[in-house]
Amino acid sequence: MPDHAEQLYQQRLKRYTTALRNGKPDCVPIRPFVAEFTAKYAGYTCQQVTHDFNLAFEAAIKCATDFDWDAVVGNMVYVWTGLVDAAGLKYYMIPGIDAPADGCFQYIEPADETSAHMLADEYDQLIANPTEFLANVWLPRVSRDVVAPGEPNTARNNLSWLKGGMATLQYFQAFGAQHERMKSECGVVPALMGCLKAPFDIIVDKLRGYNPMCMDLFQRPEKVAAACEAMAPHMMFNALAGADPEKNVPISLWMHRGCTPFLSPQQFERFYWPTLKEITIEIHKQGWQVLYYAEGDWDHHLKYFAELPEGSIIYHVDRGDIFEAHRVLGDKFCISGGVPNELLTFGTTQEVRDYCKKLIDGVGRDGGYIMDAGAIMQNDPKIENVQAMTDFTREYGVY
Amino acid sequence: MNQDENLKQAPGVCVPWDEKKKEYPEIMGDEETVKRVWENVDTLGYLYIWNCLISF
Repeated sequence: MPDHAEQLYQQRLKRYTTALRNGKPDCVPIRPFVAEFTAKYAGYTCQQVTHDFNLAFEAAIKCATDFDWDAVVGNMVYVWTGLVDAAGLKYYMIPGIDAPADGCFQYIEPADETSAHMLADEYDQLIANPTEFLANVWLPRVSRDVVAPGEPNTARNNLSWLKGGMATLQYFQAFGAQHERMKSECGVVPALMGCLKAPFDIIVDKLRGYNPMCMDLFQRPEKVAAACEAMAPHMMFNALAGADPEKNVPISLWMHRGCTPFLSPQQFERFYWPTLKEITIEIHKQGWQVLYYAEGDWDHHLKYFAELPEGSIIYHVDRGDIFEAHRVLGDKFCISGGVPNELLTFGTTQEVRDYCKKLIDGVGRDGGYIMDAGAIMQNDPKIENVQAMTDFTREYGVY
Repeated sequence: MNQDENLKQAPGVCVPWDEKKKEYPEIMGDEETVKRVWENVDTLGYLYIWNCLISF
């Protein structure tokens, strides 16, 4: 490792982790969640970085080399659709196959009971044994190739398990080398390790779909609550399985269907929050932080997040009021994000600089703030605007 | 659901060691080694199933 990369890495690690723990580093850290933006910058199509993770890794390295960023995700185009295809999973639109090569991959959420990946009368099976339900009912339903126990076996079924398993190992093991490259070539810190989903979110996203869930909340609320309880230990186990062994960087939590108007505050309190709160507290007890990526507007729920132990989360703001989030949560937690994606896409560089100043003055003045866009950056932000966000933060965000 | 009783509820487990152990006549060497390796590889199967749900 060149001396300057090592030096840069240590400087950035200290800056990033100080802010994560709500402290005041030497300057405001920059940690952009750049997904298909990396393809745009590096000259690839969305298909290339989505379907060939080696190209996605190269694009991430190019960005990490050229931009003065403290931390990035090794591959924010997280769904490797090569694996999706190998395992026969049906619920993605893959760029270059089901969608234009320069469009982003899309998840096809079940729209109604007939397309749900778990039927309304299958809650008890899920609750009794979630792993068994996933292997024997859910996977055969969502994969073109996997067959359910009792059905005639096929070669494609055998190959789906074999190829899917081996491809998963290949993908996740490659992150180790990618993180080493980020460190040794770019002096950049891996921003996140480990992935948590709220039990309610995973049931909505991948099992029932939002529309069927809306009926469940009224027709079988006890089952929904029991299913969240049954999923919780598995969500935590999987999050910790991928967590940073050094406990420097947080586990991600991608929050989807819990905020208003998807749920009422009462429904949030009953179905979404209890298990997520319990998991977050337990993860914190074990020494990790969780980055709450609050996609959408979660302002109605800030008082709940304030119940969590100091330093247990980093609260990332997408469309919520970041100044209100800072007022309610800023004493206990680091805040990140807040630069509107539409500004990065349609605004001028001066408008971006002005907004970053507002964020640094209003949220980052005492530390505990990490600069980023509100939402994951796909291929729409202008490169010059992302450069302006970076340059201005470096110029102005010095403590 | 009893389509495959080997898949149990505990996180990280597909086929628990206690059930697997019944399949051996007698372990003449170090049982702890056999158990540890079984459980480590069993967890990989578990992680694959759950990663399909959570990550992909």
